[in-house]
Amino acid sequence: MISTDCVAMILAGGQGSRLGVLTTTVAKPAVPFGGKYRIIDFALSNCAHSGIDTVGVLTQYQPLELNTYIGSGNPWDLNRNSGGIYVLPPYQKAESGEWYKGTANAIYQNIEFIDKFSPKYVLILSGDHIYKMNYDNMIKYHEQKGADATIAVIEVPWEEASRFGIMTADENGHIVEFAEKPAEPKSNLASMGVYVFSWPVLKRYLTMDERDPQSSNDFGKNIIPSMLNNSEALYAYGFEGYWKDVGTVQSLWEANMDIIADPPVFEIDDSSWRIFSRNPVKPPHYAAKGAKISNSAITEGCEIYGTVKHSILFEGVTVGRGAIVEDSILFPGAVIGENCTISKTIIGNDTVISNSCTIGDKSIGEDQFKSKYCSADISLIGGGLVISEGTKIGVNAMVKESI
Amino acid sequence: MKDTMGIILAENADIRLNELTDIRSVAALPFAGRYRLIDFILSNMVNSGIINVGITTLFNYSSLMDHVGNGNAWDLNRKTYGLFFLPPYIRGGNAAGLSGGNVDMLYSILTHLRRSPQTYVLIAGGNLVFNMTFEDLLSFHRDTDADLTVVYHRLNDNPEQLRRTTVYEINAEGRVTGIEHNPMNPKSNFSGMDIYIVERTRLIAMIEEAHAKGKHDFIKDMLLANIDSLNISAYEFKGFVGRVDSIKSYYDNSMLMLNENIRRELFGGENLIYTKVKDQVPTRFGENAGVSDSLIADGCRIDGTVENSIIFRGVSIGKGSVVRNSIIMQNSVINENCDLENVVIDKECTLRSTKRLIGQPNYPVILPKRTMI
Repeated sequence: MISTDCVAMILAGGQGSRLGVLTTTVAKPAVPFGGKYRIIDFALSNCAHSGIDTVGVLTQYQPLELNTYIGSGNPWDLNRNSGGIYVLPPYQKAESGEWYKGTANAIYQNIEFIDKFSPKYVLILSGDHIYKMNYDNMIKYHEQKGADATIAVIEVPWEEASRFGIMTADENGHIVEFAEKPAEPKSNLASMGVYVFSWPVLKRYLTMDERDPQSSNDFGKNIIPSMLNNSEALYAYGFEGYWKDVGTVQSLWEANMDIIADPPVFEIDDSSWRIFSRNPVKPPHYAAKGAKISNSAITEGCEIYGTVKHSILFEGVTVGRGAIVEDSILFPGAVIGENCTISKTIIGNDTVISNSCTIGDKSIGEDQFKSKYCSADISLIGGGLVISEGTKIGVNAMVKESI
Repeated sequence: MKDTMGIILAENADIRLNELTDIRSVAALPFAGRYRLIDFILSNMVNSGIINVGITTLFNYSSLMDHVGNGNAWDLNRKTYGLFFLPPYIRGGNAAGLSGGNVDMLYSILTHLRRSPQTYVLIAGGNLVFNMTFEDLLSFHRDTDADLTVVYHRLNDNPEQLRRTTVYEINAEGRVTGIEHNPMNPKSNFSGMDIYIVERTRLIAMIEEAHAKGKHDFIKDMLLANIDSLNISAYEFKGFVGRVDSIKSYYDNSMLMLNENIRRELFGGENLIYTKVKDQVPTRFGENAGVSDSLIADGCRIDGTVENSIIFRGVSIGKGSVVRNSIIMQNSVINENCDLENVVIDKECTLRSTKRLIGQPNYPVILPKRTMI
């Protein structure tokens, strides 16, 4: 594919407030995932493997970490002479300036950016989904169908269909109906938030949508329904494979655990479709005498003296002697002191758990740290904290400050 | 140290590690689970602020070229200077540099030396495991008004290896008064690290002179022969030095990486050791994995037992297999129920199930690259 055929725009400005303390200082796409990745690595790697080399990343909420992480785009092979990766925050214009009001408005505010490349198509992606997908196949499908817009859909269980944007399509894939979170779904084809638009058509709709003061300037709520009303050619592109929206603490935990299931529910060890990331500069991980590691994923720079079961350890994590870490996710640089017991807990970057702490203890049950963001007995400890010796914390807990 | 250029002599004709270096320069030897030996000197130069680094090679340099690429991993893909790969240079049928002498190697890169504007040249080999920056060395060299400064360390516990190095006699002022090359009975334990700093114009003059006289060896013909007329200073490095110059020293130094203090000194400080990025997934441990006192890189699949070993990127170890006191390089596959002890397995080897390989602690079994058993 010729590079200027398609520009990808990744929506990465959302806060992801349902991830609680994990997103107080970083945007959701920058949240660590799977032992050495950030959530946005999946969309970026998919672009790299699909031959898309012009990518705009729309940032708004807490963009610093994400900007630094993306840098020149080198880890994803997106440091190109023409095209490449661009971080696009909202900016002040001559007559006015405003925040991105919605997903569609974010693209509207960057019409000039896209026009610079005169693309035939624009690929709209979300920076907070975990999946491996060849967008090039989807673009080819869009061309074949002569579509104005193509929406990637995935079959979801009927009982969950009412949580998604649901498409009803005829046997040719032509979309006849779209309903956002319908109470009584007519189909189980859910929109993945992956759209291919023919650029001139999208540009027209974005401009129209912007003139409508009633609009919430959202692709799902406004752009797609109004294109459907005007009988534009909308097609559904069926995707088969793993796809997960990691919008909640529970879904983030589950998606991580899908990687270490045996066999994996989601296989990331795929030499033909590697997930690229900014790699840490750390030596291999060290497992000491007396360490026990099973059903887990461990990254470089970790030092393990205790027991790790069914867990994911990011770079530079230390697990002390006599400690037991189970069903947990430890973000980069976390330190687990000696004789701690950590169960079903996500621990933020560089947090130090002092000796003999118990976290996620079922026998305690829910305690004063119980949070509305946590469910399924999963607990959450924020980044950069120090938890003092002997602290005991129950389930569904969220800790925001050092204790 | 922008005023210093670095030259890494990646090939050393004196150092051979049999099967391990038949296919690659010693500087390209895989080390410590994810590095190659050249990463240490290359990172040390970069961490010192040197941004003009040349690598000279002789034979089998494709794995080295593949590893360093455009220098990006070391931040050496620069518009001005950066990384220069300097393969042997043949001019007018005169294959300068091909003899393997380091004078010839330097002579073959004279154009590069002349064209670089830096005042000083730091010359180093590619077979040391160490973490050092060179700012102090440069000030020492300037302060002592030396023609050339050599770097040494005290090699106390390995007399056998000391006899394979350059040993210096040094007076109270820190000036080199005697040089012994591979001495049978060394007069001191001041072992040269094959690192030299010298003014670029002086180096060029020295090389031209040695070449005109038909000399080949930097130490014997350039330093030792001129020891009375040259003012040679000696600078002591006090940190950890792992010299890889034999299979035994490769194996012993590898196992030293399991020592927490040495690992911290090499990898845990401010000055990082960079290497080529492979984008491997985290290593996965199966239900019955056992691991003890081992270094394991990313991208591995461990279902067996690993003890006191170094496991490189992308290795898989099957159920029921036991790996002890061994080094297993990148992408090798050990199937089920194998038994390995004191072995060095080169890259991309495959052991079918129930194979048994037992070496001696002082004489590990070596499996050459891509062997299938």
